[in-house]
Amino acid sequence: MRVRSAVLASLIATCCVAAATAAADGLPKLPKKAAYKVGFAQTESNNPWRIAETQSMKDIASKCGWTLVYTDAASSASKQVADVQSMIAQKVDLIVLAPREEKPLVPAVMAAKKAGIPVIAVDRDLDQSVAKPGRDYVTFIGSDFVDQGHRAAEWLIKATGGKAKIIELEGTTGASPANNRKKGFDETVKKQSGMQIIASQDGDFARDKGRQVLESLLQAHPDVTAVYAHNDEMAMGAIAALEAAGKKPGKDVIVVSIDGTKDALQAIIDGKLGATVQSSPFFGPISCKVAQRYAAGEKIEPWVKVSDLFFDKSNAQANLANGF
Amino acid sequence: MTLTLKTPGPRSLPKWAKVPSGALLGLVLLLLFNLCFTDHFLSLQTLNINMTQVSTIVIVAVGMTMVIATGGIDLSVGSLMAISGALAPLIFGARTGLLAIPAIGMIVAIVLPILAASVGGVLNGTLVARFRIQPIVATLILFIAGRGVAQVLTNGNLQTFSHAGFRWLGLGKVLGIPFQVLLMLAIVLVAAWVMRSTLFGRYILATGGNERAARLAGIPVQRVKLAVYVICGALSGLAGLLVIAINSSADANLIGLGIELDAIAAVAVGGTLLTGGRARIVGTLVGALIIQLVRYTLLAHGVPDAAALVVKAGIILVAVYLQKREN
Repeated sequence: MRVRSAVLASLIATCCVAAATAAADGLPKLPKKAAYKVGFAQTESNNPWRIAETQSMKDIASKCGWTLVYTDAASSASKQVADVQSMIAQKVDLIVLAPREEKPLVPAVMAAKKAGIPVIAVDRDLDQSVAKPGRDYVTFIGSDFVDQGHRAAEWLIKATGGKAKIIELEGTTGASPANNRKKGFDETVKKQSGMQIIASQDGDFARDKGRQVLESLLQAHPDVTAVYAHNDEMAMGAIAALEAAGKKPGKDVIVVSIDGTKDALQAIIDGKLGATVQSSPFFGPISCKVAQRYAAGEKIEPWVKVSDLFFDKSNAQANLANGF
Repeated sequence: MTLTLKTPGPRSLPKWAKVPSGALLGLVLLLLFNLCFTDHFLSLQTLNINMTQVSTIVIVAVGMTMVIATGGIDLSVGSLMAISGALAPLIFGARTGLLAIPAIGMIVAIVLPILAASVGGVLNGTLVARFRIQPIVATLILFIAGRGVAQVLTNGNLQTFSHAGFRWLGLGKVLGIPFQVLLMLAIVLVAAWVMRSTLFGRYILATGGNERAARLAGIPVQRVKLAVYVICGALSGLAGLLVIAINSSADANLIGLGIELDAIAAVAVGGTLLTGGRARIVGTLVGALIIQLVRYTLLAHGVPDAAALVVKAGIILVAVYLQKREN
């Protein structure tokens, strides 16, 4: 069923692309107005990160002169396509889309383009082999997950003096943040002869799974000196596992992760977590800025990179408000 | 009242303690493999980890064993865990009125979620016993709706907390043994005793063995069925509390996700007949240990998670096949 709908979606997508190229329509323009009706198509709201993202959009709406039409696709790509279609029917001025999956959302973007409504993709990109930023949608606003991995690795190299035996807790197998955070970290670490990844396992981005996996890995590899988790929730689980095994997180084993949740910042203050690279969910202000630049007729770069902060002992306390 | 039940055979072990030799063989082989090939396997810490990680599965699987022994099945255990796990932080987080007193807050935060999960069990039991809906369909209702209830309770938000009492529930030790492990062993022993030596245990087996005959013999079949679903619900509620206590966080989307399959597999591998009429509580413990040990072994040897699932299924298949041959 899933495969079939995916195939169908990509078929439709290809047709749409063909039609769009034939018509040779440019990207829809955004007129300069004082007030806009903006659709925000969220993909799900079952974790703190998504909730913070939605809140950020709602917060900016009033400041930016937006009337927000908000939908939540509840983790379903097909519902999200329908959500975007209903936004088109409501004749919104602009659609901000957090695409659930790269391919299935392309037809919805094409439909919006046909209806003359510009689309901005946030936090996850669309499949660039069928839809191009600058031609089919305005731009992709998002973090550089590979770079997040780089930064985590660089901090760890400094903190350990370039010598560490590392266990890596990966995010959900196949998810793009997991793939890219692994790529960035592994690349950087490989260049150091003293740094060695002794085990790397799937912790599903979840605290409970991260804890159980690390508990077991700790038994098999008691010589570990550092843990790299692809998100803070797994890092929290890792800290619990280390404490249960009688090791002191932050002293015996150094933990580094990515996200910047409130819990993680508190753990840094408590000395249990070494550092966390922020993966900012605060897309409201930057989306507003991009929309204003686009309305003013500026050409937008195909990827607007979100600048992610970095939290360690030196600034965790001051940034507690930036956690989510 | 005269009741003809299968009487224990002339073998030395009492029936309730009997474990199918296939399962035992599997466990022994796994242990031997690990002793030879897994570094640092022979340590107290390894034992502690495996016992704590298996405890929630065992607690749920004990309830499941009783349900299955009546010829039923309970798919809703994971969702009931989620309800109880999502409810507890809401209660001890409230800090109003009497709940502000730590001891009372703690007791209410333990009792109320377990009661809520038991109410779920009452619903399951009523649908099965009173309205004669097939157990797999009757419990499917709460399997789907229960997690929804838990998500609505929390708006789907992750709740994190730091609560000394609950922390102890998850991580505390008595004489060096994790509290959860003691709790698990106590539940196994009590359940085994109930199945062996009480009238209620006999009623369960008779109901599952031949419901018509049991009813004609005067056994309150409906009440027995209701009772096993309530017990299973309550145990699931308890397991839900343990999961959130270990992590100091409750995620309604994830608590108990997929545990019904682990529990049913543990029961099946342990030698309880899925058609009812036989219950092997100690066998269920062995079955759960096998599943846990497979997971640990694969993890320790760096096998990717996706492949591990396939291996797990294969081992369950072999264990069940061996059990089939025995019968």
